[in-house]
Amino acid sequence: MRLHVIAALVLVAPSFVLAQRGAGPSAAPPAPAPHFPDGTPNLGRDPGEKGIWNVPWVRNMGLRIDKTEAGTDLPSSGGVVGLVGHDLKRDGSRFEPLVPFMPWSAAVYDYNVANESKYDPEGYCLPPGGPRMMATPYPMEIIQLPEQKRTIMTFEGATHIWREIYMDGREHPKGDALNPSYLGHSVGHWEGETLVVDVVGFNEATWLDYSGHPHTDQLHVIEKFTRRNKNVLHYEATIDDPGAYTKPWTVAWNVPWRANGELAEYICQENNQYLFRLTDDFGQPIFGKRP
Amino acid sequence: MDFPGYTNRRLVIALAACLVLALVQPTVAHHSFAAEFDANKPVTLKGAVTNLEWANPHIWLYLDVKNDDGSVQPWQCEGGPPNTLTRNGWTKDSLKIGDQVTIEGVLAKDGSKTCNARLVKLPDGRSVFAGSLGGDNPPPPKQPH
Repeated sequence: MRLHVIAALVLVAPSFVLAQRGAGPSAAPPAPAPHFPDGTPNLGRDPGEKGIWNVPWVRNMGLRIDKTEAGTDLPSSGGVVGLVGHDLKRDGSRFEPLVPFMPWSAAVYDYNVANESKYDPEGYCLPPGGPRMMATPYPMEIIQLPEQKRTIMTFEGATHIWREIYMDGREHPKGDALNPSYLGHSVGHWEGETLVVDVVGFNEATWLDYSGHPHTDQLHVIEKFTRRNKNVLHYEATIDDPGAYTKPWTVAWNVPWRANGELAEYICQENNQYLFRLTDDFGQPIFGKRP
Repeated sequence: MDFPGYTNRRLVIALAACLVLALVQPTVAHHSFAAEFDANKPVTLKGAVTNLEWANPHIWLYLDVKNDDGSVQPWQCEGGPPNTLTRNGWTKDSLKIGDQVTIEGVLAKDGSKTCNARLVKLPDGRSVFAGSLGGDNPPPPKQPH
């Protein structure tokens, strides 16, 4: 009997978590999204408080296309908290009819699926790139500097990165002036309650997600950040890559606020033994044997 | 709270387990789990800690396991990232060299004496979640009672 009580506590705990994180019914309605005195939404902390955005692990963006308004798909994630776009059974391009693959991108994707994301660049401690910044499960913060006409986003992981979003109305650099980079060149503006960020200039060293959707340097991402209430940041990304996909596709999910959270240091490169154990398709070490 | 027949300590452990589940970051496999480990090959290791690498992106725990014939087999087990474990109540001093621990985890696919630790029973009797949740990681093992 008492064992049942304890077992029930253990079993029920995750549902409490869901409720706390806004994924289930909760008793009190969440506080509204905070705003600055000029009416601009505040995507960060109120003065004097802590808090971070608890970025979920969006494992497969191909499963987030028809759910741009539904913030989460926890039921298909087996109820694992914070996990979005997760369904092992659907892995592979033929199970993702909503992703507008080209033949080559489908083939590369299926290769990445077949080897269980063995060659995921994030496994090498390389930055996430593109929309995967908001799909790599380490906390992040948004720091708005309106007087400087820019916004900074800082990410604890996967490689302790930051990005700068120019809010001064500038355009992207043209031609050779646009140096390909992991996080791209970002310009932003407000459309009502939504921060819209246009990003180009990505290199080809990253995947779109853990599952292994590829992209080219023609990738153009339009991101929309909307703080629906104090505790929920709705994130939407339109992936427009004419080098890899036949038309743009849009994915979305919710990012919960973790009150009292603070960022910590995370230097992925410190002791990445995965590299020493990594072998190629023929079983040969890629980066050398374990010392 | 008093539950006759059950020590408060066990209740505390159970509640701690709830807390761990509640606080645990959803994730944080920085590399592919399935490419390296076989979720269908569970292993329980009992041995003495020989080294703890409290370092990113994952901690590594080394221990000497005594075989039935008295010989000693060194093992290595991967855990979660230090940040995640810190948020879950671990510290770099939670384990010391020489400590006797029991690790529940899963075996590496390459047949080496390597495991992915899911649950570590510490010298003080506490069982703590050691790994990562989510993705192709298996769920944490059931807490012993």
